[in-house]
Amino acid sequence: MSAVGAAMALFERDIRAVLRSRSQLYSSMVTPLLFLVFLGNGVSSGLEPTALSAGNFTAYLVAGAVVMTAVFSSTFSSASYYRDRDSGVLRMLLSSPHRPRTILLGKSLAGVTIGVVQALVVLLAAAPFVQFEWQFGVPAGIAIALAAVVLLNLLLAGVAQAFASRIQTMQGFHLLMNLALFPLLFFSGAFFPVAGLPAWLEVLARVNPLSYAVDAMQLAAYADGTDGYFGLAMDFGVLTAVSVLVYVAGLARVPRLTWSGA
Amino acid sequence: MAEAVVEARGIVHRYGERRALDGFTLQVPAGCVFGLLGPNGSGKSTFITMVAAMERPAEGELRVFGQEPSPSLRARTATVFQENAQDPLLSAGETLRLAGKLFGMSGSAASDRGRRLLGTFGLAGREKDRIGALSGGMRRRLEMARALLHDPDLLLLDEPTTGVDPEERRALWDALLNAERLRRTVLLATNDLAEADGVCEQVAFIKDGRVVTTGTPSALKAGLRREAVRVGWEGVTEAQLAEVRNWPGAGEVTTDGEVVHLASDDASALVPRLFAFAPGAIRSVTIERSSLEDAYFQHVSRRTAVVEAAR
Repeated sequence: MSAVGAAMALFERDIRAVLRSRSQLYSSMVTPLLFLVFLGNGVSSGLEPTALSAGNFTAYLVAGAVVMTAVFSSTFSSASYYRDRDSGVLRMLLSSPHRPRTILLGKSLAGVTIGVVQALVVLLAAAPFVQFEWQFGVPAGIAIALAAVVLLNLLLAGVAQAFASRIQTMQGFHLLMNLALFPLLFFSGAFFPVAGLPAWLEVLARVNPLSYAVDAMQLAAYADGTDGYFGLAMDFGVLTAVSVLVYVAGLARVPRLTWSGA
Repeated sequence: MAEAVVEARGIVHRYGERRALDGFTLQVPAGCVFGLLGPNGSGKSTFITMVAAMERPAEGELRVFGQEPSPSLRARTATVFQENAQDPLLSAGETLRLAGKLFGMSGSAASDRGRRLLGTFGLAGREKDRIGALSGGMRRRLEMARALLHDPDLLLLDEPTTGVDPEERRALWDALLNAERLRRTVLLATNDLAEADGVCEQVAFIKDGRVVTTGTPSALKAGLRREAVRVGWEGVTEAQLAEVRNWPGAGEVTTDGEVVHLASDDASALVPRLFAFAPGAIRSVTIERSSLEDAYFQHVSRRTAVVEAAR
């Protein structure tokens, strides 16, 4: 019995479970889309942020909405460890002839896949509202955005997995994820451009890996130049290094079956 | 004696300061339905978890099929835990297919065998039902079907019938011991002494993380007096009990509040004498054949042992 077969069986099971849990399926996408529609249009109409390269705030928010979707999706996906623990399924999985990391790998790959699909759905749903530039061409632009979304989801799955293996309750897990990831979202360029920020904020943005995912998506989809951006080489260099590191580190520790020690 | 499938020597396992297993030594013969009996917290579940290679002993030696427990060895075992291990978002059939794939079966093989097992356990036609639509007893039977799916050589059952009504319980054991018995070894941890008496070929009594005695249920019962007499005795004193001990035919005497448990070779002679000895104080008397429960209480009980029988 191969580890790949086992990981694929778990992948299939987690995908099926998410598709049947409609609240999880839709809520990761709905909130970012609400931001896009209401906050984007509201700010565009009321404040006229003409300095934005995207032309209007709604278009500017698209990359941020995609990142936000990935944040929500990874949080929900990793919360399935708690559901599996509490339903006893995790115990059953760990009594199979596979190492715990194989189990985690199958589950987390399902989470990454769901996150990528949800992020792409948000990207597609936003298409009617914005004027895409596709400065590198449409196929290359889509490939760049897709690659950024995949790396971003790997990174977030690793972070969520690392938290899930250490936090006892699902409530605590959600709280910590919000506390850790929302500030990263704020300083990622998702809601306002990084260029021109006060120096201390710009430093925070530069050490924030989410900034590089936002940057890559903005460059791919609706930027009409590269001035004021980190650049794709920097984006993918940082994203690849940090995502792989965090994902591998996240899989290094198996969530506990119980927290009572029994 | 048959070759031992599980051999434990001097196993120690700690949860913090508490020793869950403390010099646990046991041999489980191949092909046997072997019962682990002991109070809650005595170490039964911990031992099952170790045999399933989900925990490692801190000290001692454990061999399963002659090898140190490892993840790969789990291919020959299956574990049914105290609580159901089922995803409420999946159907019964999907639950079995997932389990089959985890144990290396193809999807079609898992489906085919899963359907047969669902029939064996009285769940025919429920393949597409979501777990949430099944009753508690059905879910326990599904757990058993799940465990047997890959035809394990060693079945580890940790209180598998907890919360199951008597009819469901009988159906579950009938299916397991008749249709699916084959030559597999079953290690059953339970608090249900009547269940163990009915299904186990050998049992071990566990207390405080140690095995205190092992044997067949009939051998353990044979070591007892023939009859167990339970007496509701108002205001019973230790002096009275000490006197009863010396009566001819009286065995072990223990108390549980104002209930006195007497082992006796001849209850028909003992009981009238009790009424004469404590007039007005005897509120009830129950006479039963000695059971595995009596043997259990003799070895494991937390009841106050007042007098050791003079044999």
